[in-house]
Amino acid sequence: MGLFDKLAGWLGLKKKEVNVLCLGLDNSGKTTIINKLKPSNAQTQDIVPTIGFSIEKFKTSSLSFTVFDMSGQGRYRNLWEHYYKEGQAIIFVIDSSDKLRMVVAREELDTLLNHPDIKHRRIPVLFFANKMDLRDAVSSVKVCQLLSLESIKDKPWHICASNALKGEGLQEGVDWLQGQIQATKT
Amino acid sequence: MAATSSSSSAGESTQANSKWLDAHYDPVANLYAFSSCVTLADLHGDGEYKLVVGDLGTSWHDMKLKVYRGTDLLSENALPDMPASVAAFLMEQHEPRTPAVAVASGPFVYVYKNLRPYFKFTLPPMEINPLEKDVWEQAKEDKIDPLSLKEMLEMIREKAEIPLSVRSLRFLALEPPEMGAFVNQYKMQPIKRQTVITCMATLKKNMADEDAISCLVIGMESNEILVLDPEAFTILARMTVPSVPTFLDVMGQFDVEYRMTVACRNGCVYIFRRDSKRPKYSIELSSQPVGLVRVQKNIVAACSDQTLQGYTQKGKKLWTVSLPATPMTMSLMEQKSRGFQAVLVALANMEVHMYQDKSLVTVIRTQDVVTSICYGCYGREDNTLVMTTKGGGLIIKILKRTAVFDRGDASTGVPTAQSIKLNVPKKTKLYVDQTLRERECSVAMYQVFQMELNRIRLQATRTYAQALESSLTPITETLQEPLKMNAVVQGIGPTFKLTLHLQTTSATRPAINLLISFLYDEGLYYMARPFFKAPMLVPGLNYPLETFVECLSDKGISDVIKVFVLREGESAPLLMAHINMPVSEGLAAA
Ligand SMILES: Nc1nc2c(ncn2[C@@H]2O[C@H](COP(=O)(O)OP(=O)(O)OP(=O)(O)O)[C@@H](O)[C@H]2O)c(=O)[nH]1
Ligand SMILES: [Mg+2]
Repeated sequence: MGLFDKLAGWLGLKKKEVNVLCLGLDNSGKTTIINKLKPSNAQTQDIVPTIGFSIEKFKTSSLSFTVFDMSGQGRYRNLWEHYYKEGQAIIFVIDSSDKLRMVVAREELDTLLNHPDIKHRRIPVLFFANKMDLRDAVSSVKVCQLLSLESIKDKPWHICASNALKGEGLQEGVDWLQGQIQATKT
Repeated sequence: MAATSSSSSAGESTQANSKWLDAHYDPVANLYAFSSCVTLADLHGDGEYKLVVGDLGTSWHDMKLKVYRGTDLLSENALPDMPASVAAFLMEQHEPRTPAVAVASGPFVYVYKNLRPYFKFTLPPMEINPLEKDVWEQAKEDKIDPLSLKEMLEMIREKAEIPLSVRSLRFLALEPPEMGAFVNQYKMQPIKRQTVITCMATLKKNMADEDAISCLVIGMESNEILVLDPEAFTILARMTVPSVPTFLDVMGQFDVEYRMTVACRNGCVYIFRRDSKRPKYSIELSSQPVGLVRVQKNIVAACSDQTLQGYTQKGKKLWTVSLPATPMTMSLMEQKSRGFQAVLVALANMEVHMYQDKSLVTVIRTQDVVTSICYGCYGREDNTLVMTTKGGGLIIKILKRTAVFDRGDASTGVPTAQSIKLNVPKKTKLYVDQTLRERECSVAMYQVFQMELNRIRLQATRTYAQALESSLTPITETLQEPLKMNAVVQGIGPTFKLTLHLQTTSATRPAINLLISFLYDEGLYYMARPFFKAPMLVPGLNYPLETFVECLSDKGISDVIKVFVLREGESAPLLMAHINMPVSEGLAAA
């Protein structure tokens, strides 16, 4: 990094770029979460199921995020692994009200964490236990247990309960992620 | 790979390497159902499929229509009677395209829309016996007392072609003191005779789309099948079956072409086509069916004699597999993303077997005996297996996204050698010509062949007889002294070495007291020992006996030397051989 870039970084003119993968089953609320993190004038109103993936950008106080919002539908899930190499952080979204598919989320998470491109990297993983507002949603502690997150020992991870429709809990998660990235990069 | 995967997938489905994820198990879900009463449908049109169960309950008054969303019960509707079948179907074109739920029970089909009762269809009443009607008419006017009513009804029951109504049958079962009250209670109401529904299926009306409107197809105790209009509930078609239908499978579209496969209580399966009032094909199963599934164009039935049988759509039998336990129920399994279809059969030994054709693909062990299976999209997961158990439990398993089933994964299939294609060469012109000739002159060829064959036989018999007469065989005929001999001549002359190989072919008894004698032209040959005693022949050993023959002539001629094997004290030889001596070349050259 050149001196000028560093200067710009200190002055907050140019922010550090980070690639984030947003993963999780279909209908878990990935696109809704990313949408909510964008500045309010850039947000869309109608969110439809993602086809393939889409690339979104948003900024925090010190970082510029490029998010790969992957589709969670079964037939597109095999696309995920092609982006593992580029990803510097992972956001994994879980629909806390979909108890039936917790096993599927867990299976996909296990596959992800055991992938050669991910397995040996200390890459931060942020979990959103989304749709907390729904009546039959389980708590984030329960989600933690159902996905056996305690067994993740070699990566920093964090779980937040969230309501993507209102934006609740999202900031907490992104702050944690920003802290992790800065801790490893500087 | 074949060896390892076959052993791992066959049984250890509870392990981590299983192809199924255990999504949910509730042993006390209180769901008692058969496969016909379980279905999956996107009831709210939101892409999240619900589970609809016609629950039989545990007593006579807690039958319910239950709807599950994910792992939770969403709604319950009490049912007035036992459900025979539950189906979800689209009734009308307009939006929102949410399917209605039909529950067949007794002589009615209850239709629910948005999980609220919407319509009740009643089967058309059946013809009433005129005599029975008359009798009740008289009872109504108090012309006859209950006892004579009973007598007359009993007479009708004996003789009549049209059976009695339920009311009369109930009346006949009463004790005399209860009769009067019964007659008074019912005599004013007209008598009705109704049949009940035994099975139900859906049939697309005129479009093949997944979300096209469908007709209900109803099988009845009266050996009939009805097709109902989805909107007006009028009867579009009526078919007669030779027995009571118990399982129905319908494919195609009502207005275009359809094929109805009906398994009946008499252990037969009948196949109807559009426009056929009577069955077009029929299959006689080896015993009563407990389930019927169509896999592509083939029909697979599980039977109570522990077999699974496959047939073509024209009723030709393809295969039979014997099952390790009694089948309870069965269902189609379709992994659409991979175009894979198989049949799931629940067995009484708490296993669910998955067959592709006749090869066992995988075995799922369950915690209880499974009584109903439903495979399809549930929630948002395409490949979900929903099962209810004998004890009222609910088991939900999800097929892993990466799961691939190989044909014959779990052994006991067709041996691979059977499917290897042999490299059979093409038919040559010669072959074709020969075949044509054979076809044209078959009679002549046969005659020639027979004649030659007889000649050969005659020739063989003659030679044999001759050999017998002169004991000219190298093997003895007598059973007491089985002997074998052959002679070898060595050398170029004038001295030849003559070796006789003598052996007894008896397995146990040695041959003793044998003599060897040579007969020859004494002017031509000289032998040092023309007569000698053979040693004892031990079974299994070959005895080479050597003698020398000197040729006396130098004219280049040769003759035959005869060898006899004799028994001491008997003049007829046991064995005789002619040795054609070679020409003595040594002397000729000298
Ligand atoms: N009640 C509630 N609904 C939510 C929440 N987050 C998202 N949703 C709804 O969930 C549905 C799916 O959201 P999406 O953002 O499209 O889900 P996705 O994960 O991007 O799905 P795919 O693109 O198909 O992988 C939408 O109808 C959202 O409105 C939440 O926190 N609470
Ligand atoms: Mg999306």
